[in-house]
Amino acid sequence: MARITLDPITRIEGHLRIDVEVNGGTVTNAWSSAQMWRGIETILQGRPPEDAWIYAQRFCGVCTTVHAIASIRSVEHALNVEVPLNAQYIRNIIMSQHSVQDHIVHFYHLCAMDWVDVVSALKADPKNTARLAQSISDWPGNSETEFTAVQQKLKALLQTGRLGIFSSGYWGHPAMKLSPEANLMAVAHYLKALDYQRMAAQSIAILGGKNPHIQNLCVGGVTTAINLENMATLNMEKIAALRTLMQGTREFVQKVYYPDMLAIASAYKEWFRYGKGVTSYLAVPELAEDTRNTVFALPGGIIAKGDLKIARIITNHQDPGLIGSITENVAHAWYEGSGSLHPWEGETKPQYTDFQDNGKYSWCKAPRLDGNPVQVGPLAQVLVAYAGGNPKVKKLVDDSCAKIGVPVADLHSTMGRLGARAIRAHLMADYSLEYLDKLVGNIAKGDRAYANPTEIPKGEYRGVGFHEAPRGTLSHWIVIKDRKIKNYQAVVPSTWNASPRDGKGAPGPYEAALVGNPVAKADQPLEVLRTIHSFDPCIACAVHTIDPEGKAIVTVKVL
Amino acid sequence: MRVLIFGAGNLLLSDEGFGVHFIRHLQDRYLFPHEIELFDGGTLGIMVSHMLEDADIVYLVDVIEAKGAPGEIHRFEKNDFMLGTLPIKMSPHQIGIQEILALSEIRERCPERITLLGVIPSTYEAGVELSPTLAATLPVLSELLIEELNAAGHQIVRRAAADNID
Repeated sequence: MARITLDPITRIEGHLRIDVEVNGGTVTNAWSSAQMWRGIETILQGRPPEDAWIYAQRFCGVCTTVHAIASIRSVEHALNVEVPLNAQYIRNIIMSQHSVQDHIVHFYHLCAMDWVDVVSALKADPKNTARLAQSISDWPGNSETEFTAVQQKLKALLQTGRLGIFSSGYWGHPAMKLSPEANLMAVAHYLKALDYQRMAAQSIAILGGKNPHIQNLCVGGVTTAINLENMATLNMEKIAALRTLMQGTREFVQKVYYPDMLAIASAYKEWFRYGKGVTSYLAVPELAEDTRNTVFALPGGIIAKGDLKIARIITNHQDPGLIGSITENVAHAWYEGSGSLHPWEGETKPQYTDFQDNGKYSWCKAPRLDGNPVQVGPLAQVLVAYAGGNPKVKKLVDDSCAKIGVPVADLHSTMGRLGARAIRAHLMADYSLEYLDKLVGNIAKGDRAYANPTEIPKGEYRGVGFHEAPRGTLSHWIVIKDRKIKNYQAVVPSTWNASPRDGKGAPGPYEAALVGNPVAKADQPLEVLRTIHSFDPCIACAVHTIDPEGKAIVTVKVL
Repeated sequence: MRVLIFGAGNLLLSDEGFGVHFIRHLQDRYLFPHEIELFDGGTLGIMVSHMLEDADIVYLVDVIEAKGAPGEIHRFEKNDFMLGTLPIKMSPHQIGIQEILALSEIRERCPERITLLGVIPSTYEAGVELSPTLAATLPVLSELLIEELNAAGHQIVRRAAADNID
C-alpha cells in the first residue's frame, strides 16, 4: 500500500493538498485539504454594505466578477431592491462572458495537459492532423500550415532546453492515449485559446469598465450609463465592438473547444466510469430575466443520489427551502468546535491542529445541504436544467452523449464533469449574444433605467446573494445592522466540492470521487490529477506566492 | 518600447497584496509617460497573460518565498525563469509565470525583457494593510524602479501633491 500526497495541487488559485491511499493500483481512501486559512470574510465586518462587493471581488484570484455579483445581490436581497432590466442584461452578459473565459482557460490551460501528451505531438504528421481537425470542425484555423508551424515551434523550444510548460508534464505516461495527430491538434488549439480568453476579457472590460476587477456595480443595478448617441456611455459603437468580440469567442467555443472536448471524451471513454463520487447535486437559477430575481433562463435544482426523475427544480433566488437548508460543519476543519452553523450565524474562529487523518485536516469548512454533501459545478447545472426540461440544455446533452456514444447516466463521472463544462461554455457563448440583443431591444423601447439608487436604512437585515458561477453555486450571506456589515460569509463552489468529511464522517465530493480511481504509477499520479482537475479546483484565498526554493510536489510513502 | 509594471497579489491578505499596493503607491505619487503602463493584476495568472504579451519590457512585482529577512528585495531576470535556474516548481499542469512565458515564447509574443522584483513578506494575516516592514519597502522599491526607468530614458515625474501623502 502507498500513501501519495500531492501538494500543492493548484498553484495559481491557492493551496490544495490531496492525500490518497492506493492499494493494488486503485485509490481506497482520500483526503482533501485546503492549506490556507480563508479568514478574509472578517475583513468585511464593520464596513458599509454598499462597498462589500469591492472587497469581495478580491476574495479569489480567478473568479473576481462572480464574487462582486454575489455580494451585490446579497445586499439587494436583504433590502428587497429591484434591479432594472437593463442592469440585469448587462450583468448577464458579464457573467456569461466570464464563464466563457473561465471555461476556455480551464479546459486548455488547466486540464488539457492531463489528457494531451505534448511530446507525442512532435511525431504527428501535420497533413493528417489537418485532416483529423477538419473532420470534426469547419473552423478556418485548422490548416496543415498552422499545424506544421506549431510543431516546428515546439521542436525549437525543446531544443533550446527551455522546457517551461513541458518540464512538469507526465509525458509518455501509460494513461496517455491520444494519437500524435490528436495531440498536435490539441496543442495548437491550446496556444490559440489564449487569444480568445483575451477577447472575453475585453468584452467584460467594455461593460465593467475594467477587467479583472469590474467597477460598474452598485446596489440596485449598474453604473454603466446608457445613451446610444453619447460617446462617454454605453453607445452603439461599444455595442458593435462587443458583438464582434462575442461572436469571435462563440465561434472558438463552438467550433474548437466543444469538438475538441468530444474528441477527447471519445478517446478516453473509460473515464466515464471513474470519478463518480457524490451524485447529489445543487445548482441555483441563473441569468435573471426580470427585475426581482424570480424569472431565470436557466433553472436551479437539487438532485438526490443521481436520480434526475425526482429532481426538485428551483426557480428563484428567494426559495426558503434552499436558503434554510444550507449549513457549514467544522468537525474536520481547523475551526473551533465540531458543529454545524447556518451561514448567517457562521463563525470563523481558527483552531489549527496538525493534519489528522481522523481528526481536523483542512481549512475548508464542510458545507452541507440538509446535512448531506452535494456536488456543485457545470455538471450540476447541466443536469438540473436537463431534469427541468430546458430545451437548449437537453439538445446539447443529448447531442454530445450520442456523438460520444455514452448514456446520460454516464455523466456522473470525471469525463462527465469536463463534458458538462464544455456544454455550459457552448450555452453561455449563445446567451452572451442573446442578452446583448435583449439589451439593445429594451433600450430601443425607451427604457434607459440602469439602477435603482438605494440608501441603506437603519435596522437589521439579512440577505443572501446566489450566483451560479463557472465553478458552481456561490452564495454570499450578509447581516446588516445600522448601515454596517455585522456578519459576512461566502460559501464558495470549491468549498462545496473540496469539503472535508463532516460530523457524520461523510466525505466531500473530491474525496468521494477519488475512491476507485486507478493509479498506474504512484510517483506520477496522473489519474488523481484528472479527477481533481475535472472539478476545476479553486481554493478561494488565492495565495500564489512565488517560491524560488522549490518544493517537491508529489511525495510517495510506502505504508 | 512598451513597459508594463505588473503588480500581483491578493489585497485581502496583508503582505500578499504587496504588488497591488505597489501599483497604487506609484499611481498616487508619479506621472508616467504613455509608454509605461501600470497594471493591478490581482492574482489572475494566465487570464491576464495578454497584458504581458502586449509589452516589450515587464517588471513583475510580487512577494516571494525565499530565505532572508522580510522587506528584502530580490531581483530575477527572464532567463532565470526560462532556463529554470530559478527553481519554481509548479504543481503538475497548473499554470505559473514560467509556463505563461514559455507559452508566449512559442506564440512568439514573449516580452523581450522580464524582471521579477520579489519582496520577502512578513505576514499573510487577513487584512487590507501591509505590515509596517513592507509598507516601508514601498518607497525604497519605487525609488529604485523610477531611477532605473528614468536612466533608460523614460520621463517619470513626481506629482506635486505626492509630498502631502508621505
